[in-house]
Parts: sequence; structure tokens; C-alpha cells
Amino acid sequence: MEKEYSLWADAFRRLAKNKIALISLVIVVIYAIIAILVSLGLLAGNWAEEVGPENVAPTAEYLLGTDFLGRDVLRKVIYGTQVAMTVGFFSCVIAIPIGVTLGAVAGYFGGFVDEIIVWFYTTFASIPYLMMLISISYVMERGLKSMCIALGVTSWVGLCRLVRGEVIKHRNRDYVQAVTSLGGGHAKKLFQHILPNIFHLVIINASLRFQSAIKSEVILSYLGLGVQGTPSWGKMIDDAKQDLMQGQWWQLAGATLAMFFIVLALNILGDALRDALDPKLKGQES
Amino acid sequence: MKNLLFILVLSIFSCTKNNSTSSAAGAEGAQKVLNLVVTADVKGFDPNQASDLYAGNEVARVYEGLLQFHYLKRPYQLEPNLADGMPTVGDGGLSYTFKLKKGVMFHDDVCFPNGKGRELVAEDIAYSIKRMGDPKEQSKGWWLIEGKIAGLDDWRKNGNSDYSKEISGIKVIDKHTIKFTLSRPFPQFLYAFAMPFTYAVAKEAVTKYGKEFVNHPIGTGPFITGKYNQGNQIVYTRNPNYRTVTYPSEGESGDSAKGFLKSAGQKLPLVDKIVVKIMKEEQTRWLNFLKGNLDAMGIPTEQFTNVMVPGKGLSDKFQKMGVMERKSVGLDVTYNAFNHEHELFKDNVKLRQAMSLAQDRDMLNKKFYQGVSIPAQSITPPNIAGHINGFVGEYQNLNIEKAKAKLAEAGYPEGKGLPEITLHYTYNTKSRQIAEVFQQNMSKIGVKIKPVGVTWPELMKVVNTKQSMMFSMAWGADYPDAENFLQLLYSKNSAPGANGSNFSNPEYDAMFVKASMMEDSPERTALYEKMYKFVSDKVPWILGFHRVGYGLSHGWFKNYKFTEFNHGVAKYYDIDNSAKNELKTKL
Repeated sequence: MEKEYSLWADAFRRLAKNKIALISLVIVVIYAIIAILVSLGLLAGNWAEEVGPENVAPTAEYLLGTDFLGRDVLRKVIYGTQVAMTVGFFSCVIAIPIGVTLGAVAGYFGGFVDEIIVWFYTTFASIPYLMMLISISYVMERGLKSMCIALGVTSWVGLCRLVRGEVIKHRNRDYVQAVTSLGGGHAKKLFQHILPNIFHLVIINASLRFQSAIKSEVILSYLGLGVQGTPSWGKMIDDAKQDLMQGQWWQLAGATLAMFFIVLALNILGDALRDALDPKLKGQES
Repeated sequence: MKNLLFILVLSIFSCTKNNSTSSAAGAEGAQKVLNLVVTADVKGFDPNQASDLYAGNEVARVYEGLLQFHYLKRPYQLEPNLADGMPTVGDGGLSYTFKLKKGVMFHDDVCFPNGKGRELVAEDIAYSIKRMGDPKEQSKGWWLIEGKIAGLDDWRKNGNSDYSKEISGIKVIDKHTIKFTLSRPFPQFLYAFAMPFTYAVAKEAVTKYGKEFVNHPIGTGPFITGKYNQGNQIVYTRNPNYRTVTYPSEGESGDSAKGFLKSAGQKLPLVDKIVVKIMKEEQTRWLNFLKGNLDAMGIPTEQFTNVMVPGKGLSDKFQKMGVMERKSVGLDVTYNAFNHEHELFKDNVKLRQAMSLAQDRDMLNKKFYQGVSIPAQSITPPNIAGHINGFVGEYQNLNIEKAKAKLAEAGYPEGKGLPEITLHYTYNTKSRQIAEVFQQNMSKIGVKIKPVGVTWPELMKVVNTKQSMMFSMAWGADYPDAENFLQLLYSKNSAPGANGSNFSNPEYDAMFVKASMMEDSPERTALYEKMYKFVSDKVPWILGFHRVGYGLSHGWFKNYKFTEFNHGVAKYYDIDNSAKNELKTKL
């Protein structure tokens, strides 16, 4: 006889069995800790310091070498981690409530409300996202805050569609009708009963959204629309354009490797979460 | 074989298009073809709209002005072009009377009776200047003469674009004489006549082509081109009816040794044909230059170390190819300006001096200008009167100890109590890195800088609305007179004017007003020099550089002297076809 688990406990149990997913989770946690330490000023606060001669290749002393001003590339990579994780986190914090609320309301009420919301997000989705990001960066003062907002408000459409579809599926299910017959109102049905049942989708979506926000941050910083006055991976890659002509690869390598690991980890984690949380896959232990 | 075919095609082309080139072609056995490149789209051929370098250069091959800059002499000097001698100045510097050269003919075109170009007369000059003031034409050069020619501003406002109305400041005296009267003395007025905006156009052409005039270049210049189609190249042929103009026989010292006087006395233009290719990508230009398809170009930044050996000049590889280097000393100055209306910098000369002392210009020069630019000691660049050669500013050279002391005197020991200072700059990789160097230099004395990269229109917005604390900018000369630089700090030019830093100093203003009324004279130069020192001491900006660059040309390209004012200089260029045939085998 198998032991009974709640949905989340079961999901975690299944996730823990997947070694690669677990490693990914550890990587994400490490990045998060680094980001928090940098934010608190405990790590890489001295990134601007000239530690040695300029453009030194990686050595034992400077693990990732130095840049054109003799600054430690490793410290810049670490500082960039904070920027990337902050943007990833806060853009999710903005995008998810918008996507979930609009999607749930549209799916649940249907009819006129649905039409308006669908019209709104299809219109929104038809604007090229990079153009939208650039124009928001122009309107607001440039920096970390505006980038989080820009990425947040442009990345909710996919999630909104997904949630809407799921809610439409759920709203006539037996358990919802049971709530209706017991006298439950719209809010109770939607937020207390339907949403918890589709919330695993939101989690999965968030992990994927997170990594795409990181990539967007790098692109925006590369284009000069991102953080100002502090290092970021995108700016390091921008510097590398010229460095590479002189055979200096370490700045590019540092930034891209740091990005590679977190994006890969979040992707694997997203997949693993999907497997773990999808009720249909329950019991198909490998 | 390929070359022969090329020449054959060219000669056929020249016979059908232009008969008179056959004599030149016959003497040399081949046409002299100049292959130039332009790095952006050319907007068109209307002198009125020639506000950028690209359009200006093309316009100046076809059209001409009353005056031009002497090709070889330095400091830059005006000389007559369409005018027959320099104008007579009268009424205490208020009037300028020009005599025109006789027998200057417009290019043949169907807009003239029988398709034959007619003689240029004083009415044409009057028409061309009025056209700059015509609100319907929306000339990009109006700023150049705004508020200067008596009655023209009034005509612009109330004249209904009626060209027959009298304007008191523009008087046609006879067929070949025109007199301009100014509303106030403005000694720099003459420079306007060397700029493409004021070049002479024919009324017949403007009337006939209307909106399409911009694509129908019909001037008096040394070269002719047909209707302009926005293609990827522009082809010019020699103007068969060009008046006799000869290559100058004197220049600055050293010109003779460099071979710039070999063509002295020869009839211009020296080449039969110019092909201007439009290539926006630097890589494309570079490959074409290496193949010999382009006669000259600038050195791409990332190729610099391949091309030039520091301290020595061209690398062996390029010397063997017969490539020549050309140093260009620009008439410009780069700077990080303080906003003097901001509480922090207003009357806080010690803070400004401290920051200026902490800026490491030598490092910037080495990193971003290959060590060849000239660290600015004050505002006026070399090669114009008012620049003091060898002057060393007290606050323009790195001295961290002195900077720290000044900062303490200013009331911010080690930067304590000083807020973070925002520096706006136009975003590109190089500017960002330069801003980062500034940020790092300032951090050495405890001054915190936050560089913010924005687009050019955004930068103009924060500067014009006085919202910036500091901003990075560069100024290039409109004309070779220190006044053009000194006006950047005149308080009446505050934002949204050219004085974006809003520097305001009564003593400086008084000197500026006095100097701007003076004719070119040793007294004026002395006053310019006094202002030069004043700016160096008061540090209204943290000065950057007078930028120096390098260009390359192939060995067959002759008379390619650098000039900041390169409008109409193609007529002096020459191509040595035998050298070309020989050198091309080495590419």
C-alpha cells in the first residue's frame, strides 16, 4: 500500500528523485544566495576597484582575468548575477499576478468580459516585444527598476492565455458545481477552488519566465537600455565585441557561462516541475 | 584583360555622356577616375537642405559659393570662389560688397532656354540667399543668417515668399555686384558664404523642378551629375564648360615636401570622373579599400593595431601596398559639461577644479584615441587663432593630491556630503567605456558618478530642459573662428541654446560681446587668448580632447590633403593611372 501524499509533498518527492533537477535547483538557490549577498553589499561591492593591470588573462590570482580598466572580471560576473536575478524575480512578481488575474477572470466569466480581455492581450501580443521594451525604457528613467517593470508588463500574455484555457476547462467541473450548489460565490469558486488546481502551471511558467527575463535583461543591457553605472552580463558582452578583436575572450566567457548555467538550470527545473506536478504523470515513476 | 575591358567600358561611357573628356583621356590613354565612398545615404542635392556632412560634400561637387577655404594654407583662410576677389567691407563692418567673376556658366539643362546653361549673375546670389529665408523652403541653414541680414527676418515673417519684394540688406547693384548689409556687426558672417547652404542655385531650375529640385543638381561647379536617384552610387563627370581655375601654387610649409604642390598651376578639375559609392558598413568599405576599389577611407577602430605601429606609423604590410596615412587634426573639442544651474556646481569652482584634476586624460587618450589625440587645455582647438600652443592648464592635468585638496576646500573632504552625480552621455560601446573611465577616475577622490547612456534626442532633451547634472558632448567647428567655440559658454546662449552647460559669468560675457564685434586683428586674438586662459582656470567643463584621427589612401591618389572644410575639394584631387596599374598588382 503506497503512502498518501499531498500534491505538493508528492511533487517534491518526485522532484528529489530526479538528480539533474535537484542539481538545477541547487544552482538556482546558489545564484539566489549570491544575488542576496550582493544586494546586501556583502559580495562584489568592490567591483569597481582596480585590482591589477588591464586586460590580464585568467590566472590563479584573477580567476576570470581583468577588463580594460584592470577591474576583476569575476567580481563583475558576480555583480551581474544580482542584476540578472533581480530582473528575473521582479519581472515574474509583476507578470504573474497580471497574467493569472486577467486569465482567470476571462476564463471564469467568459462572454463580454472574456472578449475584452482576449482583445486586450491579443492587441498587446501583436506589439513586438523588443519595441515595447525599448519604448518603456525610453519613457521611464533607465535603470534596474524600469527594466523590471518593462519586462514584467510585457511578459504576461502567454501565462494569461494558459490560465484562461485551464479555467475554462475547470469552471464546469463537478467540484466547482458542488461549490455552486453549496452556495459558494464567484470569488470562492475561482480563488479557493479553481486556482489551487491549476497553480502548478503557474509555477512551471514562472521558472521559464524567469530565465527568459534574464536573457532579455542581457539583450537590453547589451543595447544600452539596461542598468546604468553598474556591471551586468549584457554590458560585459558588449565590451567583449572589442576585446575579442584583441584575443581577449575572458569577459565574454565569464558572462556567457554565468548566463548559461542559470538559464539551463531554470529550463531543466521547469521541465522537472512539469513532470512532478502534472497529475497525469502521477505513478509513472522511472 | 578585366582592366582593359573596364577602361573600354569607361571610354564608351564617356563618349556618349560627355565629349570633352576625350582630350584628357587621349593624353593619358585612360580616364582619371576617382573612387570615393560615403558612409550614409545622401539626402539629396538641394544646398538649402545640406545640413549634414554627406549631403554637403555631394552638393559641393556640383554647386559653388562666393567664397571657399584655401585648400592648402593653414590656419584656414577664406578665398574667393564665385566672387572676383574678397568683398569690400564698409559702414563700420555692416556692409559687404561682392563682385562676381564674369563668364561663370550654369550647367546645361532643359530648364534653361535651348538647354544651354546661362551666365551666373548677382540676382542668382540674391535669390539663393532669399531662398534660405523663405519659410516655404524650410532651409536647414536658416540659423546661419538668422538675425544678421537687415530686413531678411522681416521678409521671412511678412513677405509671403514674394521674391520680388525689396530687402534692405540684399541689394543687387549691377549684373555682377551684390551688397549685403547686416543688422549688427558680425565678422564671422563671411564664413557663411563658404558653406553649402549659401551656394548659388538657378531660379529656373528651382521653378521647373519644384519638389524634385532636390534630385536635379544644376550648379556652376567643376562636376556634373544627372538626375539623382537614391541608388548605391553617384557618378560625376567633369564639367566641360568649367571656367579656368588653377591648382594653388602656395600652401603651408611642408606642403611642397609632401607633394601637394606638384599640380600647381594646372587647370582644375584634375580628374575626369568621380564615382562616389554609398557603403554604410565599415567592413564592406574596408574590403573594398583593400582591393583598391576605393581610393581612400578612415581606419576602422578594430583594424587600427593592424594598420598602424604605435610610434612608427604604417605597418610594413601597408607600406608595401603603397598605402599612405593621413593625419587629421579635427577642429573640435570633447567635454563633460557641468550644469551650472544645478545647485551643486553653481559658483562652486573648487569642486569643478577638483574633478577636472582627477580626470586621467592620458589614460583615456591611450585607450580610446590610440594616444594621438590632443588633451584639451581649454576650449579652442589648435589651428585657429585664439588657441595657445604649448599652454598647460592648471586644472587640466592629472594630479590626485591637488584634486583631493581642492575637494576638501570645496567643503567635501574625500567626497563626504557630496551626492551621486549623474552623467548623461549618448550611448554606444565606446562612449559607455569612456564614461566608465570617468566614473573610475572620480571614485579615486571619492566623487560618485552614475553614467546614464541615452539616445541623442534624449540627451538633447535633458540638456535643453536643464535636467542633467553633467553630460558628455563634443563640438565641431562650423567655421574656423574661436568665436564658434567661445559662444558655447556665453550666458545668452544658455539651454536650449548652444550653451547647454548654462555657464554664466559676467566677466566672460563682457569679453565675449567685445570680441564678437571685432574684426580679425591681433587685438581680437589677444582677447581670444585671454578667454582661452579664463576657461582653463574657471573649469566650466571637464575638458576632453581635440581629436586626431588617421585616414588611409592608396599611392595613386594624389593631392589628398586633410582639411576640416572639405566642401568642393574634389577638384584638387588627382589620380595617377600608371601608379595605379602598378600598385594594384601588389594588393
